[in-house]
Amino acid sequence: MSVLKPFSKLPGLNTANILLVESEEQFQQSLAAALVEEAAVTVNVRLAKSLPLPMENEESRPRIDLVVFIINLTSELSFQSAEASLKYLDPGYFLGKVCFMVTNARSASVPTVRLDAVRKLAASLHCPLLFAEDQTPDGLTNATERLLTILKVAAGLVPMATALYLSNLTRCTVPTDIDQQNFD
Amino acid sequence: MDDSMKRLLQRLIRRIPAHMLRTTLDKWGRLSGAQQRSLDFTQPKWVLTEKLLAICEENGWTIKHITELEMTYVIDNPNQGMWHASQLMDPEDDAHSVELTQFKEQFKAHLSELVRPVSVKIKKHTDEAVWIRIAWGDRFSEPNHLKPTYVVHHLQTPYVFVTSLTSKQKPLLSQALVLSTRYQAIKDANLSGRKLTAIRDLLMRHYQQVFPTKYPSPLKEKNQTVSNPHVEKEQAGPAVNRLQMACEAFGDGTLPQLQSAVYKLETKFRDHTNKIMTEREEPFRCVVKFASTNLLESLRHCASTGIASTPVTPLLSSIPLKGKNYFVITDNGPGPSSQMRQPLT
Repeated sequence: MSVLKPFSKLPGLNTANILLVESEEQFQQSLAAALVEEAAVTVNVRLAKSLPLPMENEESRPRIDLVVFIINLTSELSFQSAEASLKYLDPGYFLGKVCFMVTNARSASVPTVRLDAVRKLAASLHCPLLFAEDQTPDGLTNATERLLTILKVAAGLVPMATALYLSNLTRCTVPTDIDQQNFD
Repeated sequence: MDDSMKRLLQRLIRRIPAHMLRTTLDKWGRLSGAQQRSLDFTQPKWVLTEKLLAICEENGWTIKHITELEMTYVIDNPNQGMWHASQLMDPEDDAHSVELTQFKEQFKAHLSELVRPVSVKIKKHTDEAVWIRIAWGDRFSEPNHLKPTYVVHHLQTPYVFVTSLTSKQKPLLSQALVLSTRYQAIKDANLSGRKLTAIRDLLMRHYQQVFPTKYPSPLKEKNQTVSNPHVEKEQAGPAVNRLQMACEAFGDGTLPQLQSAVYKLETKFRDHTNKIMTEREEPFRCVVKFASTNLLESLRHCASTGIASTPVTPLLSSIPLKGKNYFVITDNGPGPSSQMRQPLT
């Protein structure tokens, strides 16, 4: 089983590498185009439909600093594919180098169970959960900025901040039933 | 000017959308220049209808002229109503040399023998299609022009497309077609849709086909321009394979717009977790319908993104391959929707 490892390769100078995993292969294309426009840092984007990644690219692949799972809430297949891909990541990634990004959360056709399931998943893995709006250019810009912030920390380019430290602050939490008020 | 003609003209003007009225009347060409100029197309339709009725009286038009106008409109806007495709079978020796005048005479003669009275109008369109308009009458009434049947046939091909035909009229039309085209039989092609152009293109393969090839992409050149060196796809190989197989099954570029595909299953129920249903002897009858604004496009997208597994299952790829959208699946595998069942081996 080819597992993606976080520290088995050397980092590049002033470089950050991000892997976008999305079952539909739609939003990742526009995100990639926006991410590489960053001027201060060289950003390399790798796009995948699911994990595991093919062995042929093992040599040419740089060290991946951040793995982002893009889940489209309107599709159950999207969620299941992301969940299935998780086992191909080395546990070292879950110390702040994995992030979940969710699209179409506002759509009326989304069952609430699914969003709760994604929340629970992100909370159990101590990962941040970002909500993105993929239909407008503004939404794309916002998502790009937030990803770049996390990416720069995860690549070690921000002094005094590490990925683990940031993830402690930004990780997703699921409020317990006692805390939640019942509005019936 | 009798009532039925008035009603026909009114119905027709109501049917033609306002923006097409001028072009249709121009194409019809029976209005004189002065009459054309007197019509103000910005006025509401009922005003135009009154004016046209007056011009009709003036020019002394008959039902024949009005049906001509209707035919002009339908030929230019064939994508309305429900069209059904049929295929002629077993050509005689001279079936391939049937030409227009012979076909016209024969068809009119045979149909008038079978049905009297009947009003038949045949017109050849620029793209080799022969359009036939039939208004059916019987022993007690005149031909009913309010419910005409339209038939489109491409000479030298075995395909016929029909709309608005009742089951009583079907055998009469089939008989007339078979005799006048010099074939021996006609059968239902199990293809129907709202757009005539789409089902015609599907049946006659007028869309871009992709043939299986060992080398799908052109040879790489030395100075390759990469889209963006910083963005790389990890699973590009499988994605290209999926796209290739999807295009091989469904075609490339714009595809004919089919609206639905219906599968009638007469297979035994198969599910390991449900013993009660699986133990039943009789086949489990069920109908599966796929509907979409452009069905083939959506199926191709499903295959190329991996939602439908590739290579594409023959159940889906037989839609463009056999040119049908109605299938009956029995336990011996998907076959043509003939009513004969093969014996269980």
